[in-house]
Amino acid sequence: MKFPKKVLLQHTIASNCRANFTLFLLPLHSRLFSSPHTKTLTPIKPNSMADEGGSADRRLVLVARKGRFGLPTACPSCLPVYLYLKLANADFSLEFDTSFPDSDHIPYVEQGDNALLNNEKGGAIESLQESNLVSLNSNHPNLPLQDLIATKAMVSSWLYEATLYELWIGIGGEIADQIYFTDLPWPLGKILHWKKVWDVKKLLGLTKVNAEEREEEIYKKASEAYEALSLRLGDQVFFFDNRPTDVDALFLGHALFVLNALPEGSVLRSNLLKHDNLVKYTEHLKAELLTATSAPSHDATSASSSKSVPRRKPSSGWGAKPKAKAKKERTEEEKTFRRRAKYFLGTQLIAVLVFLSLMGGSGASDFDDDGLDYDEE
Amino acid sequence: MESPSSHPKFPPEQEPPNHLDDSNGEESESESEDDEYEEEEDSEELDPAAERERLKSLFRRLSTDPVHLRVHDVVIKGNAKTKDALIEAEVMDHFRNARTMQELVQAAGIANARLKDLEIFDSVSITLDAGPSELPGTTNVVIEVVEASNPLTGNVGVYSKPEARSWSLEGSLKLKNLLGYADIWDTSGSFGWDQSLELSTGVSVPRFKSVPTPLSFRLSLLSQDWLRFSSYKERLTGLSFGLWSTAHHDLVYNLTWRTLSDPTRSASSSVRRQLGHDVLSGLKYSYKVDKRNSNLRPTSGYAFLSSSQLCGLWDPRSLKFFRQEFDFRAALPLGFFNSALNVGISAGIITPITREFTKTPSPIPDRFFLGGHSSLVCSLTGPSSLYGFRSRGVGPTDRKRTNSDERDFVGGDVAVTAFADLAFDLPIRVLRDAGIHAHVFGCAGNLGRVSQGEGFEVERFIKGFRSSVGVGVVLPTKLFRVEVNYCYVLRQFEHDRGKTGIQFSFSSPF
Repeated sequence: MKFPKKVLLQHTIASNCRANFTLFLLPLHSRLFSSPHTKTLTPIKPNSMADEGGSADRRLVLVARKGRFGLPTACPSCLPVYLYLKLANADFSLEFDTSFPDSDHIPYVEQGDNALLNNEKGGAIESLQESNLVSLNSNHPNLPLQDLIATKAMVSSWLYEATLYELWIGIGGEIADQIYFTDLPWPLGKILHWKKVWDVKKLLGLTKVNAEEREEEIYKKASEAYEALSLRLGDQVFFFDNRPTDVDALFLGHALFVLNALPEGSVLRSNLLKHDNLVKYTEHLKAELLTATSAPSHDATSASSSKSVPRRKPSSGWGAKPKAKAKKERTEEEKTFRRRAKYFLGTQLIAVLVFLSLMGGSGASDFDDDGLDYDEE
Repeated sequence: MESPSSHPKFPPEQEPPNHLDDSNGEESESESEDDEYEEEEDSEELDPAAERERLKSLFRRLSTDPVHLRVHDVVIKGNAKTKDALIEAEVMDHFRNARTMQELVQAAGIANARLKDLEIFDSVSITLDAGPSELPGTTNVVIEVVEASNPLTGNVGVYSKPEARSWSLEGSLKLKNLLGYADIWDTSGSFGWDQSLELSTGVSVPRFKSVPTPLSFRLSLLSQDWLRFSSYKERLTGLSFGLWSTAHHDLVYNLTWRTLSDPTRSASSSVRRQLGHDVLSGLKYSYKVDKRNSNLRPTSGYAFLSSSQLCGLWDPRSLKFFRQEFDFRAALPLGFFNSALNVGISAGIITPITREFTKTPSPIPDRFFLGGHSSLVCSLTGPSSLYGFRSRGVGPTDRKRTNSDERDFVGGDVAVTAFADLAFDLPIRVLRDAGIHAHVFGCAGNLGRVSQGEGFEVERFIKGFRSSVGVGVVLPTKLFRVEVNYCYVLRQFEHDRGKTGIQFSFSSPF
């Protein structure tokens, strides 16, 4: 393991210390030794990584968890983002991450060097809309925003909690293991599973005392949500204006997961099956979006390693922060760093001088002065 | 404790011939060497002048001719807790091979040092006592040890980690010789200014029953912060077993759970794809030879290190790769101003063990990184340091997510470094006496990639070498080698973090 080595300031255990101590004399060097510019070369391609030339690749890459149960991605958090891109007919490719099942930044969408993470700005779908990269809702000039927001909130909260509960606690852990942990070596999968169950219980406020009551409440809210959504949908193709919105992506992802991944004994699944129009809606869109005859707007590198590095090109101005602000912050940070570097350097010099003066300087000779090799075999 | 039956006795051998020195024309003596020793014990009864003359004669003979003597018995005293077998195993071979007085004294010195190296005794004294009178030419070796009165030691200190620009508070506890096998149990912990944490506990024994080599076991939890360099933090939880350790060979098995995370959310795509959990299960074998005359200022000799690491022995889903490092150093005395030319070359390669290893990226934390200012002369750790460049400041990079000019250094699969260092004394006597000397150096290095589908071209790799030269002053102390250098970067590439100017280096040869 390459841990930055440390220097010992206490003498008592100095003999056990392995030190690697480096200082940069930044301000002093710049004043005393104005050095000419060193020859700086452009990289010999492709020796310098990712400075690859070529045309900019604007294609989107969705990084999600692996597919299973006939779904392109079996994770209930990733599937809505996938469906959102499909509904928007976006040109994207699908790649999988199998080594970070407990991360909250997956799924994320990459374009060039930039990425929209799921743990920022309300999620990947919100980020896609906010950046206008892929915006389903912008196709609806007369979208009833209040209804949309209320429906989205219901799906994102009540149905999301119900999915969490059912997946990690309600039906046991086998489905979750298949989705998240099959690619992790033993015993990482088990440890992370236990940790996730504990996190879910904490998130849902489950305790031994209120477990049953909480379970009943979660299922009741889910039923009410299904009822409301069924009424909202009616016999339309989509929830709003017969055009897809992010609500369709969110609910469709939930419904596909519940109907395909959860076992027949699942309470959530049986509740959803009570609403024929929701089931038909799900099956219809599944056939349209997920079969081979659907619009080939993506190709999934399902066999690719999660560690693969896609070729990407530098992109510009996609979700960028104002450079002037970043520059100003860097200047202040740089000033702080310089000031700290001066104090640090001064302290180190004093420590060295004290050490040298106390310890008598020269240690050029070896410890073993009597010429005997005590380590001989 | 003494158990006469357990005291090893050496088989009786032929009587050693009398070796009396007549070469100086002195009066020959007919007494055996045993008688001489007996006479030494009765010296108080003799005339003091004659006694002095006799002792002078004895020392003269000891210094000129071999005085044949063998060990009859080894008596161990003072070890209430420490096993006899352990002490005997440390010293017996040396005494068994001694055939003369001179060799015996040397063996006693070696045995003394080995017992002190166990770190479980407050003091060790070895006495050569007269053997039985019926066995002339023999001696009994009496080893008297004083076991550590307080087996528990501890210390606390504040340390700095300049590469990560942070400080840490560290403490450790050691419990020595709990089971009597010179076992050392230690627990250490450190808490860094940057929220980094390290906890480890372990035990080591120099030898356990029939296993002749030291064994060790360590459980550790530590986190490393590479956010400034490569936008990731590394958390390692693992077990380490020292299986075989000698002066030149070392075999260790490591089982580690490693988690890479990016709390800043600014990692480049290359790093982001490698975030997550992995298990590293592998053997690491090192072969090291260091024949240099000094670790701090070598002027002659050579050193060689080969380190091989094979990971993937746990589970088919764990990380699988092979990593190899070579490091060679040589020191040539030049004969003027106590000068010496130190040269060295290091190389390393890492490759994933998969069918499509040229297309599968190697794990970033295990790749090679160049940069930093650990001493080129002292350290024997494979390709790592390159004067004039910051730590992890050379080689392949990837742009960070935040769309700034900042980049992550992602390391290389192949690394080569070379250096030449000419050290010489300064003309000022005070500085010479203090061991302070100057040196002129030049170094070069490069990183290349084999995996990730780019292929490896030797010509392109050679053309991509970075280089620097410089001059500096070296202050060798007992524990550190302090260097104040002026480095001039001759060649660097875009995004490298090289800087011409004055740089300090503190290195330890251990």
